[in-house]
Amino acid sequence: MSQFTAVQVPKAETVAIQVTAPNQVKLSGTITQKDPANDLAGFFKALHTAAITDKLSEVRADVSGLTFVNSSAIRLFVDWATWVKNERGQRYTLRFITSRNVTWQKTAFMALMSLTKEVLAIEHVT
Amino acid sequence: MSGSDRNPSTPSSASRLAVAAIAKGPSRPGDGVALSGRTLVRVICTAGSGALEYTHAFVSAYTADHLRGAVAQRLSLAAYELLSNAINFGSVSSDIVIELIESETMVGVRVTSDAIAARISMLTEHLLKLKTNAEQTFLEELRRSVTGGIPRPMLGLARVSHEAGLALDLQVQERRIAVTAQCRR
Repeated sequence: MSQFTAVQVPKAETVAIQVTAPNQVKLSGTITQKDPANDLAGFFKALHTAAITDKLSEVRADVSGLTFVNSSAIRLFVDWATWVKNERGQRYTLRFITSRNVTWQKTAFMALMSLTKEVLAIEHVT
Repeated sequence: MSGSDRNPSTPSSASRLAVAAIAKGPSRPGDGVALSGRTLVRVICTAGSGALEYTHAFVSAYTADHLRGAVAQRLSLAAYELLSNAINFGSVSSDIVIELIESETMVGVRVTSDAIAARISMLTEHLLKLKTNAEQTFLEELRRSVTGGIPRPMLGLARVSHEAGLALDLQVQERRIAVTAQCRR
């Protein structure tokens, strides 16, 4: 049984989250709460752990519908990429699906790519 | 909130810090120029309150309705990050004012709040770094947000400058500071 799809999705007010088999998580809406780590850090960590357990070669994080995130939320994506980068055994490619039409995504993921390029891939949908 | 032609919270030009003039980085429209014009929106927040999310939601909705999409997104980001900084680092004894201001050619967000001298000094230094190399500063702050460190990572202003590509301006009058992020309309 897939551990990845069994990860409990948190309830967050402004962001909709979907986990779909075999390896995709989709986030849409906005992340504006002061400390989004309360809702999302544990969730991302659980996805990461599940991806390792499932021996996934790639995780697709579709953020193209996230129209706004605050700095604290960007740190969560950086943390996730860093966990993958620091993984010593089995590790996967973390592929962010982004939109060219959303301002924050253009630069944030390019910068993240420069920090963790060994494990990151970026795909543009629009 | 109200509209007016003159912004009473703006410190006099004599006290402006010449952040943009000192730095050697490439200039952007609005660099080194205090934005003056018509105030479209003014919201007064109590420091330490939970005003950030709903004020940002209101300003975002307003900009999305009144400005071009790309400009609205950039100003929305600036509104959030400037207000967040003021709420998190400002003095709790005074109000925070966020304004959306437009001139004939420019539009911007200004957040005015009280701050202690150490904060003003840190802000001035950070804005100089951003002016000199916004992309490099953004990367440094992103890296520091992983590794931690003192002072705390200042990713917000780096986002405003690099991600949103807005010109930042700091004005100081005693303890009252006004940070403005602006771009062409």
